[in-house]
Amino acid sequence: MYSEMEGISVETQPDSVSAVNTMSFDAEKHPIVEVRSLNAWYGPQRVISDVSMKFKRNHVTAIIGPSGCGKSTLVRCINRLHELVPNSKLTGNVMLDGVDIYGKQIDVVDVRRRIGMVFQKPNPFPNMSIRDNVVAGLKLAGVRDRKRLDEIAKNALQQAFLWEEVKDKLPNSGASISGGQQQRLCIARALAVEPEVILMDEPCSALDPTATAKIEELITKLSDNYTVIIVTHNMQQASRVADYTAFMYLGKLIEYDETPRMFENPKEELTERYITGKFG
Amino acid sequence: MPRLMDIGLDRLNSLLLDMATLSQQAVSASIDAYSLGSKGTEVRQMSNRLHALHRQVSDLSVEMIARYQPVASDLRFIRACMEISYGFFRYGRYALDIASVLEVFGDLSKCDKKFVVDTAKKTQEMIRMSVDAFARRDLEMARNIPKLDDVVDEAYRNNLKKTIEKKGGDIKCALSSALILRYLERIADHASYIGESVEYIATGIEPKLD
Amino acid sequence: MNARRILDRFWLGLAVAAVVVALAPLGSIIYYVTVRGIAAISWSFLTHNFNQIGNNGGIANALEGTFLVVALASTIGIPVGLLAGVYVSEYATGRSADVIRFLSDVLVGVPSIVTGILVYSAVVISFPTPYNGYTAFAAGIALGLMEIPIIANTTSESLRLVPNSLREASVALGIRKWRTIFLMLANCLGGIMTGILLATSRVAGETAPLLLTALGSTQPFQGLFNSVETMTLFIFQNGTSGTPNLVEQAWGASFVLLVTVLGINIAIKLVTRRRIVFV
Repeated sequence: MYSEMEGISVETQPDSVSAVNTMSFDAEKHPIVEVRSLNAWYGPQRVISDVSMKFKRNHVTAIIGPSGCGKSTLVRCINRLHELVPNSKLTGNVMLDGVDIYGKQIDVVDVRRRIGMVFQKPNPFPNMSIRDNVVAGLKLAGVRDRKRLDEIAKNALQQAFLWEEVKDKLPNSGASISGGQQQRLCIARALAVEPEVILMDEPCSALDPTATAKIEELITKLSDNYTVIIVTHNMQQASRVADYTAFMYLGKLIEYDETPRMFENPKEELTERYITGKFG
Repeated sequence: MPRLMDIGLDRLNSLLLDMATLSQQAVSASIDAYSLGSKGTEVRQMSNRLHALHRQVSDLSVEMIARYQPVASDLRFIRACMEISYGFFRYGRYALDIASVLEVFGDLSKCDKKFVVDTAKKTQEMIRMSVDAFARRDLEMARNIPKLDDVVDEAYRNNLKKTIEKKGGDIKCALSSALILRYLERIADHASYIGESVEYIATGIEPKLD
Repeated sequence: MNARRILDRFWLGLAVAAVVVALAPLGSIIYYVTVRGIAAISWSFLTHNFNQIGNNGGIANALEGTFLVVALASTIGIPVGLLAGVYVSEYATGRSADVIRFLSDVLVGVPSIVTGILVYSAVVISFPTPYNGYTAFAAGIALGLMEIPIIANTTSESLRLVPNSLREASVALGIRKWRTIFLMLANCLGGIMTGILLATSRVAGETAPLLLTALGSTQPFQGLFNSVETMTLFIFQNGTSGTPNLVEQAWGASFVLLVTVLGINIAIKLVTRRRIVFV
């Protein structure tokens, strides 16, 4: 179903503000995000134990596992949200295009722009209109050109499959639309700043099945142009949308493989027991 | 802690064991009918019953896939069950075919049945192995089945050659032997396929094609 | 059962009686002030300055003074209060945030005369002005100091009510911290405005600190560094004067003050109703 298509050209996005880094090595063949020997703590409690993995560029990777296995923490380490929690600690490296995002010279705000995030509960800014919500990341960073912002908003909403539904209500509050639409709005908002990676932390758990289906369709389409990393407790969702799936348990990475292989013939006993429902 | 799916999986398993026993009996009955010259009328009933059971297995498998979205070993098991039940169903069908030969050809008491009966014994051994391999998920046994398959294949082809080369002789005997050997060869093939499916359940890897 | 029903009615009756007792003072205040004060209200009363003789005098300079002093207080109180509230809510960590919040609560409860004495010793005494250092400026400082903890508290509480998911959303977009804070403030404007209105209406009604800083005056506004008259001082000075005319004017001023307080409370209600709280 998801075949290995190496060498396929990546569509460049229109009006690309940040060019995909022209690195010295062939970025196509290299993973875009790599986690190396990552350990993370909340206070004295270690929640991620020595996790190393590479995420493939322009593919969808799902992270599954029971509650408390560290999957949400893992993605929050990738966009440096973990460090905002008081008493949190982290060791190891997270590489974005070969550069350690925890390096001393790195501007954390730039990291967070390049790695976008969509949360479990849709969180549009209620005091802003739909259009302002979409371009919030740009407006609040100082971009003023009205026309350009409108264009970017339209483009982002189209990419998020939301344009047709809200094009006549752009001035309405961001909170005035349905849950599923709000979540797509949040996705559009993340897309507007032209990230390279999109992290999704259980994006559909607060939505009904129809809204979920729309977003899953959106995710597979997004992976043409972005790298998507999705955390989900719904294994069927992982098997539907992800090219690669990683299974975590108690902070460790247990197995990481192509989705069809993982779900037909997992290598680890623990994975087998988890996905067949033989434990939580 | 038993899962909802386990009830269905157990049911599948017992359906298949029923089919296994029944198909073994059907083939034995048809071979006995051949060697002893009896009618073998019960074979038709057995074959029909096997057909019905195969349908049940298919329906149950599809229902489980639709309802429970099984993965990993469960999914492999269900897939294999569908293939294996087809194999048992074919055993019954070929048993019926053998019995039909007897019906059509009538009196075969004058024929030299030894060769066919010997081959039949080997085939029945393969059937037994396939049933045991499934019942006990015996990987070792499953892998041994193809070896016997070669033997049965040989027998079938040799007989054909001899029949062609031989001039004269009773056409009834020659034809009936050839047909029955053909059915035995097909049964043997299915036994091999069942062995492959059992291997698949255990390892998740389909054995290489010949 | 009869006994239980009687008991039920008894407690109900008690509760109703308590409410009546609680509201009675308010009712009587409104009644008396209105009855006594409304006679003094006239256009000239509101627009003429204080006249010692009593005839044709008014509260114009007092109104002017109250307005001025409160405005001065707000130039200190609002910025400092807002920033302090922002600090407690967005920057301080667990322990220190709790300590600061506690201290702020205590500050709100400090008797206003204590604040007055503090400003008197620190500011009034050291100012070489005609009226021994009593200035509008000092009054502004005193009232400003009172506004700060009130506004800081309501600001930090309002910010706390803004769901963390919005903060995360903003940060995850790569929006800088101070800009994120502005966004959070925009999302709890109702609460912040309420806090500011509460603080200003509270200090507008203060008397004690003004006795020690503004002193009062019979003249209209004469500059920041001069003493100034306020509504509360006017009521205090003329209500006890004994002169019927002046006493009546004091009641009139009380009525105006009461109406103003009512007006501010209505404003608060309108503000909180229009800004829908997003949960």
